[in-house]
Amino acid sequence: MPQSYDYDEKAETWPFFAMAVLVVVLLPLTLMQIYELFNSQKEEKFGEQTSTLNELNQVLVPQSIKKFRAKYKVKKSGVWSKKTLIVCLGWCLVAVIWKTIDSNEAVREAASTIFDPYLLLDISTSATEKEIRSAYRKLSIKFHPDKVAKNLSEQQRAVLEEQYVLITKAYKALTDEVTRENYLQYGHPDGPQATSHGIALPRFLVESSASPFVVVGYIALLGLILPIFVSRWWSRTQSVTKKGIHVKTASYFADRLFNFKPSQVVTSDLILDWLSNAEEYKIMYPHLGPKVFRNLLNDHLQRASNGEDLNEIKLRVVAKTHSLLFGLLDVSTNFRNTEISLAAIDTFKSIVQATPVSPESQIFQLPNVDQKRFSEGSVDDVRTLGKLFTYDEKKIGQILGISDESRLQETLKVASFIPRLKLLKAEFKVPGETVVTPESIPHIALKVLVVSPKHKAFPPSKFPQVFFEEEQDFEAQKDPFASALEQPPVPQTFAPLFPVERTGGWCALVMLQKDGKVIQTPLVVDRLSFSNLDNDFDKREIKDVEASFKPENWVVGTIKIPFSQPAPPQNGDYFFRVVLKSTEYFGSDLDFTLPMMVRDPPSEADSDKQYDDDSESDSDGEGDDDEDEDDLDEENDSDYTDIDTDTDGEEEKSLVN
Amino acid sequence: MSFNETFDSDSFNKTNGDTFEPISETKSVSFYTPMVYVSILLISLVIFASRYRRKTIKELSELPSMFDESVARDLYFEIQGLAETGESKVHEKVVKAALLNRGAEAIRRTLKLKESEPQITVLYKNGSVGEEYWKRYQNEVKLTELEFKECIQEAEKLQPGWAQLFVAISKEICFNQAMARRYESILTRKEVNINQWALKLDDNGKLVD
Amino acid sequence: MSLTYDANSKLLALEDASFDELMNLSQINKLTQNLVGESNPNFTPQPRETSTVMIKKLFETGLQQTKQHKFPEALKSISLALEMSQRKRAPWEAFAVQLQEVQFMLKNRVDLCLVQGRFVDALQDLEFLQNTGLTTSDVFIRKTDALIKLQQFELAKVECERGLSLDPSNVKLKALHMESTRRLAEYNGDQ
Repeated sequence: MPQSYDYDEKAETWPFFAMAVLVVVLLPLTLMQIYELFNSQKEEKFGEQTSTLNELNQVLVPQSIKKFRAKYKVKKSGVWSKKTLIVCLGWCLVAVIWKTIDSNEAVREAASTIFDPYLLLDISTSATEKEIRSAYRKLSIKFHPDKVAKNLSEQQRAVLEEQYVLITKAYKALTDEVTRENYLQYGHPDGPQATSHGIALPRFLVESSASPFVVVGYIALLGLILPIFVSRWWSRTQSVTKKGIHVKTASYFADRLFNFKPSQVVTSDLILDWLSNAEEYKIMYPHLGPKVFRNLLNDHLQRASNGEDLNEIKLRVVAKTHSLLFGLLDVSTNFRNTEISLAAIDTFKSIVQATPVSPESQIFQLPNVDQKRFSEGSVDDVRTLGKLFTYDEKKIGQILGISDESRLQETLKVASFIPRLKLLKAEFKVPGETVVTPESIPHIALKVLVVSPKHKAFPPSKFPQVFFEEEQDFEAQKDPFASALEQPPVPQTFAPLFPVERTGGWCALVMLQKDGKVIQTPLVVDRLSFSNLDNDFDKREIKDVEASFKPENWVVGTIKIPFSQPAPPQNGDYFFRVVLKSTEYFGSDLDFTLPMMVRDPPSEADSDKQYDDDSESDSDGEGDDDEDEDDLDEENDSDYTDIDTDTDGEEEKSLVN
Repeated sequence: MSFNETFDSDSFNKTNGDTFEPISETKSVSFYTPMVYVSILLISLVIFASRYRRKTIKELSELPSMFDESVARDLYFEIQGLAETGESKVHEKVVKAALLNRGAEAIRRTLKLKESEPQITVLYKNGSVGEEYWKRYQNEVKLTELEFKECIQEAEKLQPGWAQLFVAISKEICFNQAMARRYESILTRKEVNINQWALKLDDNGKLVD
Repeated sequence: MSLTYDANSKLLALEDASFDELMNLSQINKLTQNLVGESNPNFTPQPRETSTVMIKKLFETGLQQTKQHKFPEALKSISLALEMSQRKRAPWEAFAVQLQEVQFMLKNRVDLCLVQGRFVDALQDLEFLQNTGLTTSDVFIRKTDALIKLQQFELAKVECERGLSLDPSNVKLKALHMESTRRLAEYNGDQ
């Protein structure tokens, strides 16, 4: 190249460059920070739902877990976090640079030589020729050398003269053909100005002895640092699935599902075996094998203590199960496997409560229970919390083998605050419609009551219809799920033996009853008011439900489950099994069948029937369906012939659909 | 270089003589220089492409199978080996039996892969599994197809003209074997259930209260 | 692999075999035995008369015993008939026929088990029937019943509701649904 480049010795350009880069980085960061701040405040508005168990949940935590929690506590970023500090510093730097630019003579000079005829004539860029002319005339009268006041100094006169020349030039630039051409092409009425191509780097960096370093620096930046960062970012995004588990773990789970033999029975042990093979554990502890992890998980379930070192490993292994189980659940629901999906959630709660899955899990999840005395002494068959509360406190102490009064009170408190879900109303709902019309987009709308196992049972009909009604305005129709989000988040789980403090709710699974398989990935229900648990509606004291039940004392919860597919195109009844399975406690699940009654819009006949299920008495939903019997029989028959004629071995059967 | 000249004449030469003197230096460049340049570029690209291809093929062949085992296939080759080289003369019907077993397994795998396709596609599209799993699946589909064809060829070799009947029989065997496996699992499933529900049964299988 | 071959019996064996290897070996051995007994090299999936007759005979003995209320004996006969159908039939005999045969005999075995209070056995047979695609109301009724008897009320209700979904007007299932919900409420201390 022939020219010699100018270096940015007067610091004319590089501050601009630096500032641009800074602002490009800072702006999104700042916005993100503000958004986070705003969001966390919004969360706080709901307030943490304080469960009465919170205190006990702290007290009953063993020393080893307390230590572990303190060590691995995630610090929540507040207003004064590191990130905010960085953002502030960044803006300070911008201000400093701005100041340098502002006080830089060279920059100012460069700016003043920029020729803008509109500014000079003080008119808008859209001014017409007439306006231009009149503006020029006005200014030229003011600045014309012949018209200015005589008593001005030489210097003032020169300034005014210069101004006049500029104004004339500006006027010409906008009116005269040649000048205008020059202005448009070169940005100046006199034609091209001197242009220089410079490098936005100070000279000392490029010339003399420093240049090899700069070259090396560029090579390092483009050839090493950039590729390394990009490849690291890429491999990181590639090594973790969208559900947050390692791809190898996800592949392993998918393999297990794919190779699953229908002759196997799915048990919690099988799920634990799978979990122990997770890649995450291999990465955390490369020197240990799946067998060790499996044993540690087992020790956790048996509440066995290990040595100091092993204990920390155990707790980390257990803490990790959370994301692994959600990953497994995602894969298993995608494979449509009902058994494995349900077993995965059962395993989940068994890990959270450090209680193996067994017929007595509901009882054994409670603190202070003497399992041996319980198993030996049980005369009556008590396996549920609800059953437990039919006895008086002294008897409960005997059943559970707790002789210490204060410990018994602890246990009773925990037991009575373990939420149970009671279904009040369930329906398929299409926003803005009274029935589910063919090919519409329905969702599952549930009204539930969070009750305590000690509460006396009462039929859902005790609630007047108003309790279930929701606003049907435009907003509600546009986003039918918003009303469920207005409920407070569920309180912290009572799980003193889980390595970290946790909150969690229910997984909503939907199965097609025709083939008994899962049809969509689970929705996590984590917003529900638990305030009903504070109600004292003790089944041992209430004799007359009729007299003592007041619906206004109870908070009705709303659960809305999006439905993954449109309603079938043909009218008819289609049955689905809905399971709300707690990931936290035993005995908190809800499992019911919900028909989707697809009908034409109700112009001709009113088919506005809703299905009210209650776990207490036989639901009347099924009685109404006689007219659709033929439809279903037909389906049954075709299913049957399918099997008889050809392909159905059980291996294959598991894969149909 | 030519581009120097245009650069100069366009923006500097004409009008602004006072600030810049037009400096044009023209270096004579050999005719071969661009040729060498282009050929180096091309060769390096070709080398890269072939390496990359070889690497991906190697990676594909190293991908683990979707299926946990390949016993049916392995046993067939083992038995065939025994029949051809072993001192103990393996009866021809044993080889046939092993081939039928292999054919039945190939059919089971073909069906299984076909029926899992929508689920695996959704898994991949949702980002629930990684790229590798998807590659493994596509790989497995091709391999299973190949395996099935191989079985038919072997059948034709063992008994010319048998191929068509072989496929029909293998199909029946496949389903019957699946049913037999399910039937045989009844006892183990029962044990698991008894354990799971902590049931106490007497010798007649009745519940003890 | 250390595969060994017995030239007399024409059977194969493998030391330290895994579950899958054992399963495949027994499948191959069974195929070999049936191939040795088959003289026609171009055999077809056509079911063999001899085995059909033998299995039928055994099964009918069982039915006779059922009629005479000799339930334990009947169960034995029918189990034996099932065993024979698994053992004597060649693996290539038409699957549709074999499946129907097994399902038919199993349905009878289920009832015999239920009558004698062998609920766990009945449950497993019922699950086999369901897994092989037999999802008639009869199966759901029996499974719900067995589950209630085994005190698995939650599962009983789930099973019953699925049965009702496939056959909403079934009176027996409706009655069972009422019973299972009632028992479940009792189990949960709600009554």
